Amino acid sequence: MTLAHYLAVSSGLFLIGLFGALTRRNIIGILMGIELMFNAANLNLVAFNRFLHPDGVAGGAVALFTMAVAAAEIVVGLALVLSIYRTLHTVQAEDISLLKG
Amino acid sequence: MLEQVHWIPLIPLLASLAILFGGKEGPHSKMPLLGVAAMGWCLLQSSWILFHALTGRYALPYYHTIPWFSYGDYVMTLGVLIDGPAVVMLFVVTLVSFLVQLYSLGYMHGDPRLKRYYAFLSFFTAAMLGLVVSSNLFVFFACWELVGVSSYLLIGFWFEKPGPAYASKKAFITTKLGDLGFFIGLMILYTQAGTLDLSMLAERAKLGIEYLPLEVATAVGICFLIGAAGKSAQVPLFIWLPDAMEGPTPVSALIHAATMVAAGIYLVARTYFIYDAAPLAMGAVAWVGLFTALLAATMAVVAYDIKRVLAFSTISQLGYMMLGLGVYGYTAGLFHLTTHAFFKALLFLGAGSVIHAVHTNDMREMGGLSKRMPATFLTMAIGTLAISGFPFLSGWYSKEAILHAVYLHNPMMWLVALGTAGLTTFYMFRLVYLTFLGQSRDHHRWDHAHESPPVMTVPLWTLAALSIGSGFLLEHEGLFAKLVSFESGHGGGHEAAHAPVWLGAAAVAVFAAGLAAAHRLYGRGDLSLAKSLRERFALAADALEARYYFDDFFLWLVSLSDRLAAAMHWFDDQIVDAIFVDGWALVTRAVAEAHRFFDDFVVDGAVDGVGAVTRDGGGVLHRLVRGQVQEYLMYVALAMCLFTIILTTR
Repeated sequence: MTLAHYLAVSSGLFLIGLFGALTRRNIIGILMGIELMFNAANLNLVAFNRFLHPDGVAGGAVALFTMAVAAAEIVVGLALVLSIYRTLHTVQAEDISLLKG
Repeated sequence: MLEQVHWIPLIPLLASLAILFGGKEGPHSKMPLLGVAAMGWCLLQSSWILFHALTGRYALPYYHTIPWFSYGDYVMTLGVLIDGPAVVMLFVVTLVSFLVQLYSLGYMHGDPRLKRYYAFLSFFTAAMLGLVVSSNLFVFFACWELVGVSSYLLIGFWFEKPGPAYASKKAFITTKLGDLGFFIGLMILYTQAGTLDLSMLAERAKLGIEYLPLEVATAVGICFLIGAAGKSAQVPLFIWLPDAMEGPTPVSALIHAATMVAAGIYLVARTYFIYDAAPLAMGAVAWVGLFTALLAATMAVVAYDIKRVLAFSTISQLGYMMLGLGVYGYTAGLFHLTTHAFFKALLFLGAGSVIHAVHTNDMREMGGLSKRMPATFLTMAIGTLAISGFPFLSGWYSKEAILHAVYLHNPMMWLVALGTAGLTTFYMFRLVYLTFLGQSRDHHRWDHAHESPPVMTVPLWTLAALSIGSGFLLEHEGLFAKLVSFESGHGGGHEAAHAPVWLGAAAVAVFAAGLAAAHRLYGRGDLSLAKSLRERFALAADALEARYYFDDFFLWLVSLSDRLAAAMHWFDDQIVDAIFVDGWALVTRAVAEAHRFFDDFVVDGAVDGVGAVTRDGGGVLHRLVRGQVQEYLMYVALAMCLFTIILTTR
């Protein structure tokens, strides 16, 4: 098990998350894709920590922070989804174009 | 008294202001008495000074100044410089002014503007006295101009009549022409010598040629001569004086004897050291004087206006004084100025008395007046004898002195001057014959003629006494020469030399000849011979009556300058304006058009272009923003890929 294996898994995870965030019509789905990308990044962090600086704990610590931030972010995101649903009566991303120039 | 000499001009000045602004105007105004009193005091003070100066109790010159204002290093002073000539002039001016003011009480009696007349009269005298005492040529010039203004006011005193109004303007403008010369001379003198103080200038002149170079002295001398020619009515600026007869007769007496025409002679005398340093300017003085004396004497021969005859006579005598000064006869010239003041004032006041009695100036309407006005006749006869140079009267002494100096300078000039003296005798006796002797030619006027009141005859008698005695008194033991003399640094010293004895005899012979001619032509009651002569020499007589066409010449000059001005106006209007104003406007407009084009199309174009590009760019770009969140995310992803590719392939 080398660093490359971890990075490959992390890349795959990230691309899946990106694909999901780009293609899902439901906002909830998009949020889930974003969560996947977060975790791909976390995986990277701990992998780099493990292989490049085995003595240090920075990578793991930042991964823990990121998880906390992701949890907070998903709370805000879900709250926004709720708010959008209440005003627009939909959670389909393509129906929401309030930012149109 | 000498220390208080500055009050002599100030008192009449204050009096004139008091008369002008105080009291009530009208024919019975009491203000004239104030003027007479002021003048009387001045006369007393200057007589005192003259007496003490003659007896040698005062050390002359007296010089006292106070600073007036300063600029840079130069301090302009206000002060008095009393030397011999100034003392004499003070006495002459105050005396004549006093007598004229006294006489005017009678002559101007009943005039509605009596107060105004006396205010001007006092002001005139004040200006002249200021000129006499001033130690500084700048102040001298200021007073000189004030004299000009007052003469304008007094000649035009009866301004409601066209004649005096015209004459006053003519006098003012003509003398102003001379003043211009004086002023230029002052500027040259100031820039070259650095001071206008008379005593400093005199010292510099004494130090020699480095302090007063020849060319500067000559230029200044000529310029001052022009000024003097204007004021003292010398050729060619004498034209104002005959017209000045339009003023009241006492004013004419004042102008001719004391306050105005003497100023020019006095200027030359005051700045004599300049002329002494410049033989050319001195020569010019002599020649101008000679020509003036001769021309004016010939003009007097044909005049019929009693005052005009006297006016021409004044011009002629002023020419004599100039001639005297010009031939280094300093004492002689000023002596003549003094004696002339007495008998010319006498003659004018006498003429005024006659005019007052018969209400005309024309001698052809007079005749036989001696029976009606014996006092006037007697005093006038004394004046005539004096001016003609009858032996032992004042005019004889002074004229003799001038002729003496002229003979030693240039016998040819002497000959002309002698002839002029003969002409003087002739026209003066012509005046007496036509006015007082023979038969009356206008009985109505003759019947109404009456002797003037004592207030007029007393001045006449006083002046008559001075006309007889002043020459002897002043010549006696060289009193006048002791007081008034000039130590020449150059070609002078003539006055001490001796001339042939027959010089005096020639003068007397000429006097006799003139008298005989006048008697032959006018003394026999019938004027037929005079008339026939007039007709035979009609051309010459016409020229004389037209005053040698000097007036026409000046009028021609004026019309010439008029036409020149019109031509200049045309040039200005049609050429200067067309090219430099209108043409320049055209050029400016063309340039402005070019600028406008540039502004509109280039500058504004750039501004609008920026706006248009921004707007159009926005129009294109806003289509990209469709509000689809996933699109934005895709852009982010694509950008990330792009950066990744760039970073990894570098």
